[in-house]
Amino acid sequence: MKNHKFFSFLLTTLFFGLAPSQIFSQDYYVYVAAESEDEVHLIHLDGKTNKAVIAKTIEVGRYPTETDGPHGINISPDGEHWFLSIAHGNPYGMLAKYKTGTDELVATTDLGMFPASMEISKSTGLLYVVNFNLHGDMVPSTVSVVDPEYMEVITDIETGIMPHGSRITNDGTKQYHVSMMTDELYEINTAGLQVNRILSLKKNAMKMEGHSENSKEHKENHEKHMKDGTHEEHSKKENEMKEDHSGHDMSGMKNEGMKMMHAKPEVKPTWADPHPTKPLVYVAGNGSDEIIEIDTEKWEVTRRFKSGKAPYNLEVSHDGKILVASYKGEGATGIFDLESGKEIAKITNSRKVTHGVAISTDNRYAFLSVEGIGGEPGSVDIIDLRTNKRIAVVETGKQAGGIVFWKQTAP
Amino acid sequence: MKFFRIPGFFAVMLMALFTTAIVAQDEENGLKIVTDPEVISLDVGQELQLKAMLVNAEGEVQPDTMIYFSRARRALSVTRSGLMKALEPGSYTVIVYKTAQGDNPVMRKNVTVTVNYPKLDRIVFNDVPNKLYAGTSFQLESRVYDVLDFKREDLEVSDYKSSNTKVLNINQFGRINAKSTGKATITATIEGVTKTQEIEVVKNPVTSVEISIDQDVARTGDVLTIQAIAKDNKGNMVSDAPIVYSFTARPDDSRGEAAPAQIEQNGKFVANKSGLYTIMARNSGTIAETTVKINPRNVQREVEILGNAKVTDVPTSDLWVWEGVDGRDYAATGTHVGRGEAFFWDVTDPENMIAIDTITVDARVVNDVKVSEDGKIAVISREGASDRKNGLVILDVTDPSNVEILSRFDDGLTGGVHNVFIYENHIYAINNGRRYDIINIEDPKNPYRVSQFELDTPGHAVHDVWIEDGIAYSSNWSDGVVAVDVGSKLGGDMESIGGSPENPKMLGSFTYPSGWNHAAFPFKSKSSDHFYIAAGDEAFPGGIPAGWIHFFKLNNWEEAEEVARYEVPEAGTHNIWIKDDVMYVAYYQGGLRIVDVSGELMGNLYDQGREIAKFKPAVNDGIGPNQPMSWGPQPYKDMIFVSDMNSGLWAIKLKPVQGTASN
Repeated sequence: MKNHKFFSFLLTTLFFGLAPSQIFSQDYYVYVAAESEDEVHLIHLDGKTNKAVIAKTIEVGRYPTETDGPHGINISPDGEHWFLSIAHGNPYGMLAKYKTGTDELVATTDLGMFPASMEISKSTGLLYVVNFNLHGDMVPSTVSVVDPEYMEVITDIETGIMPHGSRITNDGTKQYHVSMMTDELYEINTAGLQVNRILSLKKNAMKMEGHSENSKEHKENHEKHMKDGTHEEHSKKENEMKEDHSGHDMSGMKNEGMKMMHAKPEVKPTWADPHPTKPLVYVAGNGSDEIIEIDTEKWEVTRRFKSGKAPYNLEVSHDGKILVASYKGEGATGIFDLESGKEIAKITNSRKVTHGVAISTDNRYAFLSVEGIGGEPGSVDIIDLRTNKRIAVVETGKQAGGIVFWKQTAP
Repeated sequence: MKFFRIPGFFAVMLMALFTTAIVAQDEENGLKIVTDPEVISLDVGQELQLKAMLVNAEGEVQPDTMIYFSRARRALSVTRSGLMKALEPGSYTVIVYKTAQGDNPVMRKNVTVTVNYPKLDRIVFNDVPNKLYAGTSFQLESRVYDVLDFKREDLEVSDYKSSNTKVLNINQFGRINAKSTGKATITATIEGVTKTQEIEVVKNPVTSVEISIDQDVARTGDVLTIQAIAKDNKGNMVSDAPIVYSFTARPDDSRGEAAPAQIEQNGKFVANKSGLYTIMARNSGTIAETTVKINPRNVQREVEILGNAKVTDVPTSDLWVWEGVDGRDYAATGTHVGRGEAFFWDVTDPENMIAIDTITVDARVVNDVKVSEDGKIAVISREGASDRKNGLVILDVTDPSNVEILSRFDDGLTGGVHNVFIYENHIYAINNGRRYDIINIEDPKNPYRVSQFELDTPGHAVHDVWIEDGIAYSSNWSDGVVAVDVGSKLGGDMESIGGSPENPKMLGSFTYPSGWNHAAFPFKSKSSDHFYIAAGDEAFPGGIPAGWIHFFKLNNWEEAEEVARYEVPEAGTHNIWIKDDVMYVAYYQGGLRIVDVSGELMGNLYDQGREIAKFKPAVNDGIGPNQPMSWGPQPYKDMIFVSDMNSGLWAIKLKPVQGTASN
């Protein structure tokens, strides 16, 4: 009897004491793009030891002697392929499709200027990638819709200026992205291949549906400036604004120029991610240092959470309980409880320029890409979301950016 | 290894597998996409509403959402709701998507749409003469157009007939042979459309042909000019008598040698191999011939390595070597995918080049470095800045051991500056690969933009710009080399059209089919007085550097002809420099090539013994161990400097000529 009790105690201890860390431990894999190294790394985290390493490095790009800039990365819903946007080209960037696991290149297709973030809709099977056009003229850009099987662009949907953060609802019917320079959230009907609605993210903004009045206004202003010879002046001022992409101060902007151009972006939104189960979308207000919650049924901003400096990317956990945001302006990661809207943890990152976020499917880990500065290597910081502590850092190629969670497996 | 090194065959096989998989997806779980109509044939301009339905195993139509798109939008447009419009003839695919609904997955169906070719309208001949001399030949060329004025590239006329084969005959390839005097009509026919032309064959007055050549002893690579004159029996010149040039060869080395020479029907001849050549000028049965002896060019020289300023922890990019204000010799080199550094070297003693200063800026690529004519100001390009604000940095290099940053200029340049040039107090900066900005640096601490030059062609891109004699030669990939007057100092037919840095004016452009134009260097041949532009490629087909140097010969900005090339078959070109009729090419994995470009140019210079020397810089601890990856050359004084990605900066010298020239 005594032995039986002891045996039961031992079993219970083993189960409860070791289960999370050993019996149910998993291997986790993420892909991360090193934008200034033209590499993609496959990162492996051993959930048992919390040790992470680069399992594989895949060289990507078009020109071996140029920096082509792999920027956005995502995985097909069936997990069979990963897709990578290459920012630079002659002049257009491109989309490359690889087989997961073997990492063999399958096909490429040309996109627009500086293509960035993307996702495939479970509803249409099509891939929606924003053409960020980071350094081009301040004109409306497009979302390219690509058939990922044939790797052909089937249409380009006109959107705002410097669109970024392409994410799709779980049912695949709506794609959300932001227009960074017009402070707008765009909703695309993935089946209709058109913009459904546009929402201004500014405080006290009016709600808009249908066409983007700001974009129209921009076009009219652009034509006017070309005619009256003030285009150069406006371009210069616009560029001064748009180039500041990571939350730096823009207070030096001359006031007199503002009367004649687009309204100065206040929010500078850089990312949008729909909630997995609720009709909500969360936006990173890179310029206003806030996380913005949008109710997509009411089509209005419902809450604004004060964040760290210059939130850039964000991801809602798969259970919809928390939100992880990269603070590009301060090299940190913020974790929010979505019910309370409170930042429950801020973790300092291993480098200064925090970029992308990916959360494991079991919601246990957040993987943050961190760019580094100059010749400094980039990194992937791994945060245990049970303790909100950083448990591992993996050094990568320069300017680690686009990041996506691939899979978790039993060892 | 980047993805383009994956063998093409493997990629094609993978694509084939996917294609197969897609076709199978129009049926899933007992559901099937059915289109109405199933077989579609349209005429150009015709519209048709395609209807796609989802039906179950019982044939019942299920509610669902379909999306339509065309795989050839410019030839067959289709709206999202399936309204098709045929724009160009051919066979195209429309894809119908069924979006996911509940448990039903995404399905798709390929629909083949045939857009009928319009009826043929006409055949158009090239400029066929109405009169031919008996015994002569003419090559007829036919183009076929349909009623919508589309040129039918897919059709080739092969049905040619002569109404009188005793007068002339014509073969299936359109070659006309005038046989005897008289009139005959040639008829070309294709799919019921015909074109006829009457040709009169007249008596051939030519009784003799005289041939002369400007040199009867020459070297490989020398372009010879042949003159042939046809005369009648009174000794009068028959100016419209056609002359056909050809040659026979007796190369010195006949063991398996091929294509020893090239002859053009404008009377130009160049030999690749030494030997005896008999050149013939023929009119009908009247032939004249002359013989020329071609000797080896014998320009090859050996290279003496003077020194290597080794850089093996970061790839080296471009270089600039100059004489400093103190009379010493200096070099600047950039770095690629590194720490944002430009290195400065004292190269006065090339056998002991010394690093004397480093400038570090917020960048990951300092691709280009240039120094002003007076040796006081330098500019370096910035790409990959951590805040994404790229641009350029202006430096004071009066004392290259203590280089000072005078100013940064990133206004409107944040997309990245890849290449720069300094010319007469202005910087020409490649801006985001789309245009170049011209920046006044009379006060280098306060630079300001004076203008921009940008093409308006669809999808235009620019890579580099080089200024010579007040003309900016930019390299624009598929738009080729573009010459722009920024204060031209050329005269004659190439004089200025009033351009200036503030008001750049385009003079002309010079394109070639590959679209690989990456660099350009203009030069007026000192030995032949011809004006050339050397246009360099950059390309990586299959992941391996490739490409060559294209030589355009210009009479003026409107009249240019691509006459020659220099193509090392196993390597790829990068930057070029030409000085005193010698071309220096950084040929990536082929190292540095030094090439004699004197005289008139024709054919592939690589085959003509014009290569003076090659130098493959490599070190065993290089970034690519024992492998050259040469980036940029610069002849300087009696030396040649070359930057190499894998090993840094090199100084070499050509050794004195050992042999004797043979002519």
